[in-house]
Amino acid sequence: MTTPALELTDIEYKYRRNVALRGVSLQINPGEIVAITGASGCGKSTLLHCAAGILTPDAGAVRVNGQELASLSADDRAALRRTQIGVVLQFGQLVPDVKLVDNVALPLLLAGHSRSEAHVQALEWLKQVGIEGEADAVPAELSGGQNQRAAVARALVTGPSIVLADEPTGSLDSRAGKELLEVLVQAARYRGTALVMVTHDNLVAASATREIRLRDGVVQHEVVL
Amino acid sequence: MATAELVLGLLSGGPAHGYDVKRGHDAWFPDSRPLAFGQVYTTLGRLERDGLVEVVEKTSGGGPDRTVYALTGKGRDHLTDWLTDPVPPAWGNADEILRKLVAAVRTGGDAAAFVARQRASHLRRIRELQDNPAEQDPTSPIVRDYIVAHLDADLRWLDGALDRISQQEVSE
Ligand SMILES: Nc1ncnc2c1ncn2[C@@H]1O[C@H](COP(=O)(O)OP(=O)(O)O)[C@@H](O)[C@H]1O
Ligand SMILES: [Mg+2]
Repeated sequence: MTTPALELTDIEYKYRRNVALRGVSLQINPGEIVAITGASGCGKSTLLHCAAGILTPDAGAVRVNGQELASLSADDRAALRRTQIGVVLQFGQLVPDVKLVDNVALPLLLAGHSRSEAHVQALEWLKQVGIEGEADAVPAELSGGQNQRAAVARALVTGPSIVLADEPTGSLDSRAGKELLEVLVQAARYRGTALVMVTHDNLVAASATREIRLRDGVVQHEVVL
Repeated sequence: MATAELVLGLLSGGPAHGYDVKRGHDAWFPDSRPLAFGQVYTTLGRLERDGLVEVVEKTSGGGPDRTVYALTGKGRDHLTDWLTDPVPPAWGNADEILRKLVAAVRTGGDAAAFVARQRASHLRRIRELQDNPAEQDPTSPIVRDYIVAHLDADLRWLDGALDRISQQEVSE
């Protein structure tokens, strides 16, 4: 049996007294594309943030490639997050006033790659997502769709085992959203990266091969698509 | 029935065999159910009876395939009228999903599991339609968007239905 790229076991999470996750378990296999769906407020973002190590669950375990996050030292956990997990949020979260190519190169620099190598790989990823012509532009000069493409490039540049995307098309109009989705899915396939997309958009969910649907902080159903 | 008017539309480019009409229909609506031959010939027969099409060529001893049909002036007017009228936004024949869901709830079946399977089926179909590359002809993407939008509408409606079912289960 292969080790799942991501495994969540009985995850619980509370915001003060507001219980967001009530025992969620799921497995994401290497290279798999999964949609996490459900109504607004059902706990999708909280789940993704727990998986990304951004939030620490109150109970349960998060394993990335079999490594339990809670068992690692803070440094090792940070290193694993940098190299094994890519994150794409609704709004690109690019560093303002920094050229796209440098935004994309950043995770490689943090992971200890040389400046020149990071630059070359960043350019290659900008090309992969179709915006190599905008390498020297800063986020404010570009459209939302172009910024999201850069965010996809930045999430994939380190060759992570899994990319976690929270409403990646949520800030885009339907056409730009559709294009971004294609770029994201193709980039993940090209790289063999598992992709978990949180979405309330059925057209986005349809591009996955499995749907995990949440309701009130629990898994309502899982279906193969 | 709109099949008759579509057949008129398919003949508006010039006389054709029933076979060509069927092929034309399936090319106009590549992602929907193909038109059955039987339906083509029944429809052409009715249109001929009503004077909307006429037989312009019939090879002796031939079967229906040898017959060539053409639009009449009356048929062209009918087609124009049809294209002018908007479709009444009526709730027509009860949809099969609705029938099954109501029946599942009423008979104490597992409605949530039914919804999950239906979601999967709809999402798969949306993916198939989206995976197809954009076509060169002018109407295929329009037809596809129509189907996708309606599947999406079904899915949203199913979400609401499932919410109601779950709430009823909680309050029981
Ligand atoms: N920072 C927060 N503080 C308090 N409650 C929160 C916070 N973020 C989310 N919640 C609550 O947690 C629940 C799940 O939220 P979230 O994970 O954002 O859902 P989703 O992404 O599915 O819309 C909701 O009830 C929401 O109101
Ligand atoms: Mg959210």
